[in-house]
Amino acid sequence: MRGERLAPYVLVAPAILIIVALRLWPLALGVNFSFTGDGDRDGAVVGLDNYIDLFRDPLFQTALRNVGLLVLLLPIAVAIPGLLATFIYLRVPGHRFFRSVYFFPAVLSPVIVGAIFNLLLAFDGPLNAVLGTVGLGPVDWLGDPDVAMFAVVGVHIWATFGMALVVFLAGFATLDGALLDAARVDGASLPQVIWHVIIPGLSRTIQFVFVTTMIGMLTSMFGLLYVMTSGGPEGSTYLPEYFIWIQQGQMNRPALASAASTVLFVIMLVVGLLQLSLLRRAVKES
Amino acid sequence: MKQRALWSAVLIAVLAMSGCGSASGPKEADKGSNGGKLVVWDWKSGDATAASYIKKAKADFAKSHPDTTVEFVAQPFEQYYTLLGAAIQAGKGPDVMLFNGGGQIRDRVDSLVAIDEYIAGDKQRLAGWDAFGKAGKTYAAPVTLQGHPIYYNKALYKKAGLNPDSPPRTWTEFLANCAAIAKAGAKCFGQGNKEGIGIQFFMSGLGSGILTPKEYDDWIAGKRDWQAPGVKRLFQLWKEVSDAGLNTDGANSTAMFNDAFAQFQSGKAAHMIGLMSDIGHWKDFNEFLKPENVGVMIAPVVTDGATPSLPYDGGIGYAVAKWTKDPKLAADLVRSLTSTDALASFYADAGAIASDTTIDVSTAGPAVATIVADLKSGKPALHVALSSKTIDLMGRLSQQLISGSVTVDEALKQLAASDKPA
Repeated sequence: MRGERLAPYVLVAPAILIIVALRLWPLALGVNFSFTGDGDRDGAVVGLDNYIDLFRDPLFQTALRNVGLLVLLLPIAVAIPGLLATFIYLRVPGHRFFRSVYFFPAVLSPVIVGAIFNLLLAFDGPLNAVLGTVGLGPVDWLGDPDVAMFAVVGVHIWATFGMALVVFLAGFATLDGALLDAARVDGASLPQVIWHVIIPGLSRTIQFVFVTTMIGMLTSMFGLLYVMTSGGPEGSTYLPEYFIWIQQGQMNRPALASAASTVLFVIMLVVGLLQLSLLRRAVKES
Repeated sequence: MKQRALWSAVLIAVLAMSGCGSASGPKEADKGSNGGKLVVWDWKSGDATAASYIKKAKADFAKSHPDTTVEFVAQPFEQYYTLLGAAIQAGKGPDVMLFNGGGQIRDRVDSLVAIDEYIAGDKQRLAGWDAFGKAGKTYAAPVTLQGHPIYYNKALYKKAGLNPDSPPRTWTEFLANCAAIAKAGAKCFGQGNKEGIGIQFFMSGLGSGILTPKEYDDWIAGKRDWQAPGVKRLFQLWKEVSDAGLNTDGANSTAMFNDAFAQFQSGKAAHMIGLMSDIGHWKDFNEFLKPENVGVMIAPVVTDGATPSLPYDGGIGYAVAKWTKDPKLAADLVRSLTSTDALASFYADAGAIASDTTIDVSTAGPAVATIVADLKSGKPALHVALSSKTIDLMGRLSQQLISGSVTVDEALKQLAASDKPA
């Protein structure tokens, strides 16, 4: 009897041990480390000093503002693949061709994408040459602090929307074709079809894409930033990840980097929990 | 649901408790050299151009220490200091390691052994020690010298109707030359400030013509007055050069490595404040422009009373880690790595100005000859004296100066605040 009672614990023990030893324990060590000092104060307990430093640092403030900007740009990052998937689903001419072409950038590594766009967006590069032929002044895409972040986010969306497009197409496969036919018979226009039939029918898919796109934006922009702007110009394209890397590797301040990592962890935790609750509510509704 | 709440509570408790836990600094030596083995970290030994250098250094070391094996571990440079930082933190790094001179090594001297007693015999033969010292002690032996000569394209000078063999001596003459060069269809400076490196090259390349000798020496000695007239003039000049369109276009989005150098090599710019060793230097420029077209000039005089000199420091050098078992043995390896024979091959293959001033460089073209001749009167470069934190801030401020979103006074105020000793 007792053996039977213990069995489930024994069975889950390996999984729990792995999670505790390889995830939670290092996490705790990292948090612990963020309360110690750097340089001359290496190893000494400094309380919240690192966190105070962090929130006074204009670069970290910029990094947090940029996280906010990413959240604001999220609807665009979701709408683009959604709209394109709709057109493919409605069988615009050449839809088979577009389906494969749109997915293509998703297989390129961020470093390659960054290198390609470095060339395209260079001050004396082809994009500015094209703008020049139609009489528009050159834009310093990666050198103007007001433009650079949007340029990088635009490239990130270009590079990753293929995956979301595939998820949308899978969602369309579950859409009831009879509803679309009915809407057409009733004389609904394309915008009306999208608004009243497709969006409600795909609400779960849309929410899923929102969650995955958000996570992608917050965690996988490092490669692009590293290659395209190095956090510049004027520090305008810093994200928390990049800040952590610079402090750890270049400034020799690992404890401050740990504090920044902890803040990023908390942000991700909050964003993740909010999105989970959103998803759960959506599942209940349907 | 209850289960999840319980687990969340446990997680939060663990995180909260860890906050008041103990500190974990670097641990004292528990590993290091085991038996007769020395481990060396660098980012050079993997290059084909460094192969014969490493071979000669190893042979030199084997002569006196036949029982000790030496293992070179080449790390990727982009991650070198990140990896080294992690190794230092764990107290389990290599015995001997390569460093860039200046801030990178000064920030980490806590983990290094002062090697003065071991290298006394090399002090005269090698140049560039200052970049590897802190508070009167030496922590690494220089391998190469790194500095910032002002290169100019003699072919463009001819095309603009200027005498390529008499470079300008004053800033007024320099500006007049630039105007002639602009008419000939080229920019004055090849400039790349995407990483914020442009200002470092500008500061060190032109600084000796702007700061008075006293301001210069004080700066290097650590008594930096960011409000001194010469310092202010330097940053104003950075802005003036940009505003007057003397730089190549889009400086803030052009990478110094290697897009800016490419602009100079392709004849789009007549002057380039470059490097002496490794990259962006005479050897690269000779290949593209031909050796007879690559000139080197000393900084033009901007402020009356300034005495222009070649800015240079120790470029890279090998240091000995604190946790190595036998510092003398490791220091001997460092001496082998800086022996004349080994350095001569490094100069010949990798195209670096080696720290050993006795090496013959007469076959490498006029640019190198000028540089080596200027070494004697040379002084440490201005930007190398700054901490990595101040350098990082200066990079961002220099971009803001170009775009006009900060004034020179405001930038200097921020830099002065950042440069205070911690």
